[in-house]
Amino acid sequence: MFNEKTVELLVSSFPKILEYGLKVSLPLAVIAFILSTILAVFVAMAQFAKVPVVKDICRFYIWIIRGTPLLVQLMVAFYGLPLLGIHSNPFLMAVIVFTINEGAYSAETMRAAMESVPRGQLEAGYCVGLSYMQIMWHIILPQAFRTAFPSLFNALISMVKDTSLASSITVVEMFTRTKQIAGQSYNYFPLYIEVALVYLIFCTVLTFIQKKGEKVLGSYGVRK
Amino acid sequence: MALLEIKDVSKYFDDKEVLKGVSLKVEKGDVVSILGASGSGKTTFLRCINYLENADSGVMVFDGKEYDLKASSRKEMTEIRKKTGFVFQNYNLFANKTVLENVTLGLTSGRKIPAGMAKDRAVKVLDKVGMADYLDYYPSQLSGGQQQRVAIARALATDPEVIYFDEPTSALDPQLTAEVLQVMRQLAKDGMTMIVVTHEMSFAKEVSTKVVFMADGVVVEESTPADFFNNPQDPKTREFLAL
Repeated sequence: MFNEKTVELLVSSFPKILEYGLKVSLPLAVIAFILSTILAVFVAMAQFAKVPVVKDICRFYIWIIRGTPLLVQLMVAFYGLPLLGIHSNPFLMAVIVFTINEGAYSAETMRAAMESVPRGQLEAGYCVGLSYMQIMWHIILPQAFRTAFPSLFNALISMVKDTSLASSITVVEMFTRTKQIAGQSYNYFPLYIEVALVYLIFCTVLTFIQKKGEKVLGSYGVRK
Repeated sequence: MALLEIKDVSKYFDDKEVLKGVSLKVEKGDVVSILGASGSGKTTFLRCINYLENADSGVMVFDGKEYDLKASSRKEMTEIRKKTGFVFQNYNLFANKTVLENVTLGLTSGRKIPAGMAKDRAVKVLDKVGMADYLDYYPSQLSGGQQQRVAIARALATDPEVIYFDEPTSALDPQLTAEVLQVMRQLAKDGMTMIVVTHEMSFAKEVSTKVVFMADGVVVEESTPADFFNNPQDPKTREFLAL
Protein backbone atom coordinates (compact mmCIF):
# COMPACT_ATOMS: atom_id res chain seq x y z
CA MET A 1 0.00 0.00 0.00
CA PHE A 2 2.78 2.40 0.92
CA ASN A 3 4.47 2.14 -2.41
CA GLU A 4 6.36 4.83 -4.27
CA LYS A 5 3.16 6.16 -5.81
CA THR A 6 1.54 6.60 -2.43
CA VAL A 7 4.54 8.46 -1.10
CA GLU A 8 4.44 10.72 -4.10
CA LEU A 9 0.73 11.35 -3.54
CA LEU A 10 1.29 12.17 0.11
CA VAL A 11 4.06 14.60 -0.71
CA SER A 12 2.17 16.33 -3.50
CA SER A 13 -1.06 16.55 -1.53
CA PHE A 14 0.47 17.84 1.68
CA PRO A 15 0.71 21.49 0.59
CA LYS A 16 -2.84 21.35 -0.81
CA ILE A 17 -4.23 19.98 2.43
CA LEU A 18 -2.20 22.39 4.53
CA GLU A 19 -3.34 25.28 2.35
CA TYR A 20 -6.99 24.61 3.14
CA GLY A 21 -6.11 24.17 6.78
CA LEU A 22 -4.45 27.54 6.94
CA LYS A 23 -6.90 29.28 4.63
CA VAL A 24 -10.19 27.85 5.87
CA SER A 25 -10.17 25.55 8.91
CA LEU A 26 -7.89 27.55 11.17
CA PRO A 27 -9.36 31.00 10.36
CA LEU A 28 -12.85 29.60 10.86
CA ALA A 29 -11.93 28.28 14.28
CA VAL A 30 -9.93 31.31 15.39
CA ILE A 31 -12.43 33.94 14.22
CA ALA A 32 -15.36 32.03 15.72
CA PHE A 33 -13.39 31.51 18.93
CA ILE A 34 -12.64 35.21 19.35
CA LEU A 35 -16.22 36.23 18.60
CA SER A 36 -17.63 33.50 20.83
CA THR A 37 -15.42 34.60 23.72
CA ILE A 38 -16.74 38.16 23.43
CA LEU A 39 -20.29 36.84 23.27
CA ALA A 40 -19.59 34.59 26.25
CA VAL A 41 -18.35 37.48 28.38
CA PHE A 42 -21.61 39.38 27.87
CA VAL A 43 -23.78 36.32 28.45
CA ALA A 44 -21.79 35.43 31.58
CA MET A 45 -21.95 39.01 32.89
CA ALA A 46 -25.71 39.24 32.42
CA GLN A 47 -26.08 36.16 34.58
CA PHE A 48 -23.43 37.14 37.11
CA ALA A 49 -25.05 40.54 37.57
CA LYS A 50 -28.50 38.92 37.54
CA VAL A 51 -29.88 41.40 35.01
CA PRO A 52 -33.64 40.80 34.97
CA VAL A 53 -35.10 39.29 31.78
CA VAL A 54 -31.71 39.40 30.01
CA LYS A 55 -30.38 36.66 32.28
CA ASP A 56 -33.40 34.51 31.45
CA ILE A 57 -32.84 35.05 27.75
CA CYS A 58 -29.23 34.00 28.28
CA ARG A 59 -30.27 30.84 30.13
CA PHE A 60 -32.66 30.02 27.29
CA TYR A 61 -29.93 30.51 24.70
CA ILE A 62 -27.54 28.26 26.59
CA TRP A 63 -30.25 25.65 27.05
CA ILE A 64 -31.05 25.49 23.34
CA ILE A 65 -27.49 25.50 22.09
CA ARG A 66 -26.13 22.97 24.56
CA GLY A 67 -29.11 20.73 24.00
CA THR A 68 -28.73 20.33 20.24
CA PRO A 69 -25.88 18.95 18.10
CA LEU A 70 -23.57 21.32 16.28
CA LEU A 71 -24.19 19.46 13.04
CA VAL A 72 -27.94 20.02 13.37
CA GLN A 73 -27.37 23.70 14.17
CA LEU A 74 -25.30 24.04 11.00
CA MET A 75 -28.08 22.44 8.95
CA VAL A 76 -30.78 24.57 10.53
CA ALA A 77 -28.80 27.70 9.72
CA PHE A 78 -28.00 26.55 6.20
CA TYR A 79 -31.57 25.74 5.27
CA GLY A 80 -33.34 28.08 7.67
CA LEU A 81 -31.64 31.42 7.17
CA PRO A 82 -32.41 31.62 3.43
CA LEU A 83 -36.10 31.12 4.32
CA LEU A 84 -35.80 34.28 6.40
CA GLY A 85 -34.31 36.03 3.43
CA ILE A 86 -30.79 35.90 4.80
CA HIS A 87 -28.35 34.69 2.20
CA SER A 88 -24.69 34.57 2.96
CA ASN A 89 -21.74 32.53 1.89
CA PRO A 90 -21.25 29.20 3.64
CA PHE A 91 -18.01 30.25 5.33
CA LEU A 92 -19.66 33.24 6.97
CA MET A 93 -22.57 31.08 7.99
CA ALA A 94 -20.18 28.58 9.55
CA VAL A 95 -18.47 31.39 11.48
CA ILE A 96 -21.83 32.51 12.84
CA VAL A 97 -22.96 29.03 13.85
CA PHE A 98 -19.63 28.14 15.47
CA THR A 99 -19.65 31.48 17.33
CA ILE A 100 -23.16 30.98 18.68
CA ASN A 101 -22.44 27.36 19.53
CA GLU A 102 -19.16 27.95 21.32
CA GLY A 103 -20.50 31.12 22.97
CA ALA A 104 -22.96 29.05 24.99
CA TYR A 105 -20.29 26.75 26.37
CA SER A 106 -17.75 29.51 26.99
CA ALA A 107 -20.41 31.61 28.73
CA GLU A 108 -20.74 28.86 31.32
CA THR A 109 -16.97 28.65 31.67
CA MET A 110 -16.76 32.42 32.17
CA ARG A 111 -19.68 32.52 34.59
CA ALA A 112 -18.12 29.83 36.76
CA ALA A 113 -14.78 31.66 36.66
CA MET A 114 -16.44 34.94 37.64
CA GLU A 115 -18.22 33.27 40.50
CA SER A 116 -14.93 31.81 41.71
CA VAL A 117 -13.52 35.31 42.30
CA PRO A 118 -13.93 35.93 46.05
CA ARG A 119 -16.78 38.28 46.95
CA GLY A 120 -14.37 40.42 48.94
CA GLN A 121 -12.82 41.61 45.68
CA LEU A 122 -16.14 43.16 44.66
CA GLU A 123 -16.69 44.65 48.11
CA ALA A 124 -13.21 46.15 48.19
CA GLY A 125 -13.88 47.66 44.77
CA TYR A 126 -17.03 49.33 46.05
CA CYS A 127 -15.20 50.60 49.11
CA VAL A 128 -12.54 52.42 47.10
CA GLY A 129 -15.30 54.15 45.14
CA LEU A 130 -15.43 52.10 41.94
CA SER A 131 -18.66 51.51 40.05
CA TYR A 132 -19.92 48.01 39.31
CA MET A 133 -18.73 48.16 35.72
CA GLN A 134 -15.31 49.46 36.77
CA ILE A 135 -14.97 46.59 39.23
CA MET A 136 -15.98 44.18 36.47
CA TRP A 137 -13.46 45.59 34.05
CA HIS A 138 -10.47 46.05 36.37
CA ILE A 139 -10.94 43.29 38.93
CA ILE A 140 -13.46 40.54 38.24
CA LEU A 141 -13.02 39.94 34.49
CA PRO A 142 -9.19 39.85 34.49
CA GLN A 143 -9.18 37.37 37.36
CA ALA A 144 -11.97 35.32 35.83
CA PHE A 145 -10.29 35.33 32.43
CA ARG A 146 -7.09 34.04 33.96
CA THR A 147 -9.02 31.20 35.57
CA ALA A 148 -11.06 30.46 32.45
CA PHE A 149 -8.16 30.68 30.00
CA PRO A 150 -7.16 26.98 29.95
CA SER A 151 -10.78 25.88 29.53
CA LEU A 152 -11.41 28.45 26.82
CA PHE A 153 -8.32 27.33 24.99
CA ASN A 154 -9.48 23.77 25.34
CA ALA A 155 -12.60 24.83 23.49
CA LEU A 156 -10.54 26.41 20.73
CA ILE A 157 -8.62 23.17 20.24
CA SER A 158 -11.90 21.29 20.07
CA MET A 159 -13.25 23.75 17.56
CA VAL A 160 -10.29 23.38 15.22
CA LYS A 161 -11.27 19.75 14.80
CA ASP A 162 -15.01 20.45 14.67
CA THR A 163 -14.48 22.72 11.66
CA SER A 164 -14.60 19.53 9.59
CA LEU A 165 -18.37 19.59 10.23
CA ALA A 166 -18.55 22.77 8.14
CA SER A 167 -18.18 20.49 5.12
CA SER A 168 -21.83 19.62 5.68
CA ILE A 169 -22.84 23.11 4.62
CA THR A 170 -20.59 23.09 1.56
CA VAL A 171 -17.59 24.84 3.11
CA VAL A 172 -14.54 23.37 1.48
CA GLU A 173 -12.22 23.12 4.45
CA MET A 174 -9.23 20.96 5.10
CA PHE A 175 -11.05 17.66 5.49
CA THR A 176 -13.29 18.17 2.47
CA ARG A 177 -10.24 19.06 0.42
CA THR A 178 -8.60 15.85 1.58
CA LYS A 179 -11.67 13.85 0.57
CA GLN A 180 -11.56 15.42 -2.87
CA ILE A 181 -7.91 14.50 -3.35
CA ALA A 182 -8.56 11.02 -2.05
CA GLY A 183 -11.50 10.63 -4.38
CA GLN A 184 -9.37 11.46 -7.37
CA SER A 185 -6.70 8.92 -6.46
CA TYR A 186 -8.89 6.25 -4.84
CA ASN A 187 -6.22 6.12 -2.13
CA TYR A 188 -8.19 7.07 0.96
CA PHE A 189 -6.42 5.59 3.95
CA PRO A 190 -2.98 7.26 3.65
CA LEU A 191 -4.55 10.64 2.94
CA TYR A 192 -6.80 10.44 5.98
CA ILE A 193 -3.78 9.60 8.10
CA GLU A 194 -2.07 12.59 6.56
CA VAL A 195 -4.91 15.01 7.33
CA ALA A 196 -5.12 13.59 10.86
CA LEU A 197 -1.47 14.50 11.29
CA VAL A 198 -2.09 18.03 10.06
CA TYR A 199 -4.89 18.45 12.63
CA LEU A 200 -2.49 17.09 15.23
CA ILE A 201 0.16 19.61 14.22
CA PHE A 202 -2.33 22.47 14.48
CA CYS A 203 -3.42 21.38 17.93
CA THR A 204 0.15 20.88 19.09
CA VAL A 205 1.00 24.42 18.07
CA LEU A 206 -2.12 25.69 19.87
CA THR A 207 -1.16 23.80 23.01
CA PHE A 208 2.22 25.49 22.87
CA ILE A 209 0.53 28.89 22.47
CA GLN A 210 -1.70 28.09 25.44
CA LYS A 211 1.34 27.47 27.65
CA LYS A 212 2.87 30.77 26.52
CA GLY A 213 -0.45 32.54 27.00
CA GLU A 214 -0.78 31.32 30.55
CA LYS A 215 2.68 32.71 31.27
CA VAL A 216 1.83 36.07 29.71
CA LEU A 217 -1.43 36.35 31.63
CA GLY A 218 0.68 35.67 34.69
CA SER A 219 -0.31 34.24 37.99
CA TYR A 220 -0.06 37.48 39.93
CA GLY A 221 3.08 36.48 41.72
CA VAL A 222 1.85 33.08 42.84
CA ARG A 223 4.74 30.69 42.46
CA LYS A 224 3.95 27.52 40.55
CA MET B 1 -22.19 68.98 64.69
CA ALA B 2 -21.12 65.40 64.64
CA LEU B 3 -19.30 64.19 61.53
CA LEU B 4 -21.38 61.08 61.51
CA GLU B 5 -24.55 60.13 63.31
CA ILE B 6 -26.12 56.73 62.90
CA LYS B 7 -29.59 56.14 64.26
CA ASP B 8 -31.45 52.97 65.00
CA VAL B 9 -29.93 50.47 62.58
CA SER B 10 -31.64 47.11 62.47
CA LYS B 11 -30.81 44.11 60.38
CA TYR B 12 -32.24 40.63 60.00
CA PHE B 13 -30.53 37.59 58.55
CA ASP B 14 -33.53 35.49 57.62
CA ASP B 15 -35.54 35.39 60.85
CA LYS B 16 -32.69 36.30 63.13
CA GLU B 17 -32.45 39.91 64.21
CA VAL B 18 -28.71 40.59 64.38
CA LEU B 19 -28.95 44.36 64.89
CA LYS B 20 -31.71 45.67 67.13
CA GLY B 21 -31.60 49.41 66.74
CA VAL B 22 -27.95 50.42 67.02
CA SER B 23 -27.06 54.11 67.21
CA LEU B 24 -23.70 55.80 67.22
CA LYS B 25 -22.42 59.35 67.11
CA VAL B 26 -18.92 60.07 65.84
CA GLU B 27 -17.13 63.41 66.06
CA LYS B 28 -14.30 64.41 63.78
CA GLY B 29 -11.06 62.95 65.11
CA ASP B 30 -12.79 60.28 67.17
CA VAL B 31 -11.33 56.82 67.37
CA VAL B 32 -14.24 54.58 68.25
CA SER B 33 -13.50 51.00 69.26
CA ILE B 34 -16.43 48.61 68.95
CA LEU B 35 -15.94 45.62 71.21
CA GLY B 36 -18.06 42.55 71.75
CA ALA B 37 -18.14 38.79 71.48
CA SER B 38 -18.33 37.10 68.09
CA GLY B 39 -21.89 37.22 66.83
CA SER B 40 -22.75 40.41 68.71
CA GLY B 41 -23.39 42.22 65.42
CA LYS B 42 -20.45 44.61 65.40
CA THR B 43 -19.13 43.60 61.98
CA THR B 44 -22.65 43.64 60.50
CA PHE B 45 -23.13 47.13 61.89
CA LEU B 46 -19.96 48.35 60.23
CA ARG B 47 -20.96 46.73 56.94
CA CYS B 48 -24.42 48.27 57.07
CA ILE B 49 -23.11 51.82 57.37
CA ASN B 50 -21.01 51.35 54.25
CA TYR B 51 -23.80 49.56 52.35
CA LEU B 52 -21.95 46.25 52.16
CA GLU B 53 -25.09 44.92 53.83
CA ASN B 54 -28.51 46.36 53.25
CA ALA B 55 -29.95 47.40 56.63
CA ASP B 56 -33.63 46.74 57.32
CA SER B 57 -33.98 50.15 58.87
CA GLY B 58 -31.78 52.99 60.07
CA VAL B 59 -30.70 56.48 59.22
CA MET B 60 -27.24 57.94 58.86
CA VAL B 61 -26.40 61.62 58.92
CA PHE B 62 -23.04 62.17 57.28
CA ASP B 63 -21.67 65.71 56.94
CA GLY B 64 -25.15 67.03 57.66
CA LYS B 65 -26.80 65.02 54.91
CA GLU B 66 -29.29 62.32 55.76
CA TYR B 67 -29.14 58.84 54.24
CA ASP B 68 -31.75 56.12 54.58
CA LEU B 69 -29.66 52.99 55.14
CA LYS B 70 -32.46 50.72 53.90
CA ALA B 71 -33.23 52.54 50.68
CA SER B 72 -30.34 54.65 49.48
CA SER B 73 -29.84 55.20 45.78
CA ARG B 74 -26.76 53.91 44.02
CA LYS B 75 -25.57 57.50 43.78
CA GLU B 76 -25.87 57.97 47.53
CA MET B 77 -24.01 54.74 48.19
CA THR B 78 -21.13 55.84 45.97
CA GLU B 79 -21.17 59.24 47.67
CA ILE B 80 -20.71 57.63 51.10
CA ARG B 81 -18.13 55.15 49.87
CA LYS B 82 -16.08 57.96 48.35
CA LYS B 83 -16.01 59.72 51.72
CA THR B 84 -15.03 56.63 53.66
CA GLY B 85 -12.34 53.99 53.70
CA PHE B 86 -12.83 50.36 54.64
CA VAL B 87 -10.23 47.92 55.92
CA PHE B 88 -11.29 44.25 55.88
CA GLN B 89 -10.34 41.43 58.18
CA ASN B 90 -8.91 39.44 55.28
CA TYR B 91 -7.42 42.51 53.51
CA ASN B 92 -9.20 41.94 50.17
CA LEU B 93 -6.40 43.47 48.15
CA PHE B 94 -7.08 43.20 44.41
CA ALA B 95 -5.29 39.95 43.58
CA ASN B 96 -4.53 40.89 39.96
CA LYS B 97 -3.07 44.29 40.82
CA THR B 98 0.30 45.28 42.21
CA VAL B 99 0.65 47.13 45.49
CA LEU B 100 0.86 50.43 43.64
CA GLU B 101 -2.15 49.65 41.43
CA ASN B 102 -4.16 48.58 44.45
CA VAL B 103 -3.72 52.04 45.92
CA THR B 104 -4.09 54.07 42.72
CA LEU B 105 -7.16 52.32 41.25
CA GLY B 106 -9.62 54.14 43.48
CA LEU B 107 -7.95 57.42 42.54
CA THR B 108 -7.60 57.01 38.78
CA SER B 109 -10.76 55.03 38.01
CA GLY B 110 -12.90 55.97 40.97
CA ARG B 111 -12.08 59.67 41.10
CA LYS B 112 -10.57 60.49 37.70
CA ILE B 113 -7.32 61.75 39.20
CA PRO B 114 -4.48 61.81 36.62
CA ALA B 115 -2.15 58.81 36.82
CA GLY B 116 0.92 60.84 37.76
CA MET B 117 -0.78 62.57 40.66
CA ALA B 118 -2.35 59.29 41.78
CA LYS B 119 1.06 57.66 41.85
CA ASP B 120 2.60 60.45 43.92
CA ARG B 121 -0.27 60.21 46.36
CA ALA B 122 0.01 56.40 46.49
CA VAL B 123 3.73 56.43 47.14
CA LYS B 124 3.20 58.93 49.93
CA VAL B 125 0.61 56.83 51.76
CA LEU B 126 2.51 53.61 51.14
CA ASP B 127 5.54 55.27 52.68
CA LYS B 128 3.42 56.14 55.67
CA VAL B 129 2.59 52.48 56.27
CA GLY B 130 6.15 51.38 55.50
CA MET B 131 5.33 49.68 52.20
CA ALA B 132 6.87 52.06 49.67
CA ASP B 133 9.58 49.51 48.82
CA TYR B 134 7.01 47.02 47.55
CA LEU B 135 5.28 48.96 44.75
CA ASP B 136 5.57 46.22 42.14
CA TYR B 137 4.74 43.27 44.38
CA TYR B 138 1.52 41.34 44.05
CA PRO B 139 -0.56 40.72 47.19
CA SER B 140 0.24 37.00 47.13
CA GLN B 141 3.92 37.84 47.54
CA LEU B 142 3.35 39.71 50.81
CA SER B 143 2.80 38.61 54.41
CA GLY B 144 -0.59 39.18 56.00
CA GLY B 145 0.70 42.15 57.94
CA GLN B 146 2.16 43.71 54.82
CA GLN B 147 -1.08 43.12 52.92
CA GLN B 148 -3.08 44.75 55.67
CA ARG B 149 -0.77 47.76 55.71
CA VAL B 150 -1.24 48.12 51.95
CA ALA B 151 -5.00 47.85 52.51
CA ILE B 152 -4.76 50.67 55.04
CA ALA B 153 -2.79 52.74 52.53
CA ARG B 154 -5.46 52.01 49.93
CA ALA B 155 -8.13 53.29 52.28
CA LEU B 156 -6.02 56.28 53.23
CA ALA B 157 -5.13 57.30 49.67
CA THR B 158 -8.60 58.56 48.85
CA ASP B 159 -8.41 61.03 51.71
CA PRO B 160 -11.52 59.72 53.49
CA GLU B 161 -13.28 61.53 56.32
CA VAL B 162 -13.49 58.32 58.30
CA ILE B 163 -11.94 54.87 57.98
CA TYR B 164 -13.82 51.75 59.08
CA PHE B 165 -11.73 48.84 60.29
CA ASP B 166 -13.36 45.44 60.47
CA GLU B 167 -11.23 43.32 62.82
CA PRO B 168 -8.08 44.36 60.97
CA THR B 169 -5.72 42.16 62.98
CA SER B 170 -7.86 39.08 63.56
CA ALA B 171 -6.16 37.10 60.80
CA LEU B 172 -2.64 37.97 61.93
CA ASP B 173 -0.14 36.48 64.37
CA PRO B 174 0.99 38.66 67.31
CA GLN B 175 4.05 40.05 65.57
CA LEU B 176 2.17 41.04 62.41
CA THR B 177 -0.65 42.36 64.57
CA ALA B 178 1.84 44.66 66.26
CA GLU B 179 3.03 46.15 62.97
CA VAL B 180 -0.52 46.83 61.82
CA LEU B 181 -1.54 48.33 65.18
CA GLN B 182 1.51 50.55 65.02
CA VAL B 183 0.25 52.00 61.75
CA MET B 184 -3.22 52.48 63.19
CA ARG B 185 -1.85 54.24 66.27
CA GLN B 186 -0.01 56.63 63.99
CA LEU B 187 -3.19 57.34 62.03
CA ALA B 188 -5.03 58.09 65.25
CA LYS B 189 -2.26 60.42 66.31
CA ASP B 190 -2.53 62.22 62.97
CA GLY B 191 -6.17 62.92 63.75
CA MET B 192 -7.83 60.41 61.42
CA THR B 193 -11.40 59.59 62.37
CA MET B 194 -11.69 55.84 62.80
CA ILE B 195 -14.31 53.29 63.73
CA VAL B 196 -12.58 50.06 64.68
CA VAL B 197 -14.27 46.73 65.28
CA THR B 198 -11.63 44.88 67.23
CA HIS B 199 -10.68 42.28 69.80
CA GLU B 200 -7.50 44.19 70.66
CA MET B 201 -8.14 45.41 74.19
CA SER B 202 -4.89 47.31 74.43
CA PHE B 203 -5.72 49.26 71.30
CA ALA B 204 -9.19 50.09 72.59
CA LYS B 205 -7.75 51.13 75.92
CA GLU B 206 -4.80 53.18 74.77
CA VAL B 207 -5.75 54.62 71.40
CA SER B 208 -9.49 55.07 71.22
CA THR B 209 -11.42 58.10 72.40
CA LYS B 210 -14.63 56.13 72.78
CA VAL B 211 -15.45 52.52 73.46
CA VAL B 212 -18.71 50.91 72.38
CA PHE B 213 -19.58 47.49 73.73
CA MET B 214 -22.12 45.42 71.82
CA ALA B 215 -23.92 42.21 72.74
CA ASP B 216 -26.78 40.42 70.96
CA GLY B 217 -27.30 43.20 68.45
CA VAL B 218 -27.55 46.13 70.87
CA VAL B 219 -25.11 48.66 72.30
CA VAL B 220 -24.80 47.67 75.93
CA GLU B 221 -22.36 50.30 77.04
CA GLU B 222 -20.72 53.34 75.53
CA SER B 223 -18.10 55.37 77.36
CA THR B 224 -14.54 56.61 77.48
CA PRO B 225 -11.85 53.93 77.56
CA ALA B 226 -10.95 54.88 81.14
CA ASP B 227 -14.51 54.46 82.38
CA PHE B 228 -15.11 51.39 80.27
CA PHE B 229 -12.14 49.43 81.52
CA ASN B 230 -11.97 50.72 85.10
CA ASN B 231 -15.59 51.27 85.92
CA PRO B 232 -17.84 49.16 83.71
CA GLN B 233 -21.52 49.69 84.50
CA ASP B 234 -23.39 46.86 82.83
CA PRO B 235 -23.12 43.29 84.13
CA LYS B 236 -22.59 42.04 80.57
CA THR B 237 -19.61 44.37 80.19
CA ARG B 238 -18.15 43.16 83.44
CA GLU B 239 -18.57 39.59 82.33
CA PHE B 240 -16.93 40.35 78.96
CA LEU B 241 -13.95 42.09 80.58
CA ALA B 242 -13.50 39.33 83.13
CA LEU B 243 -12.88 36.85 80.31
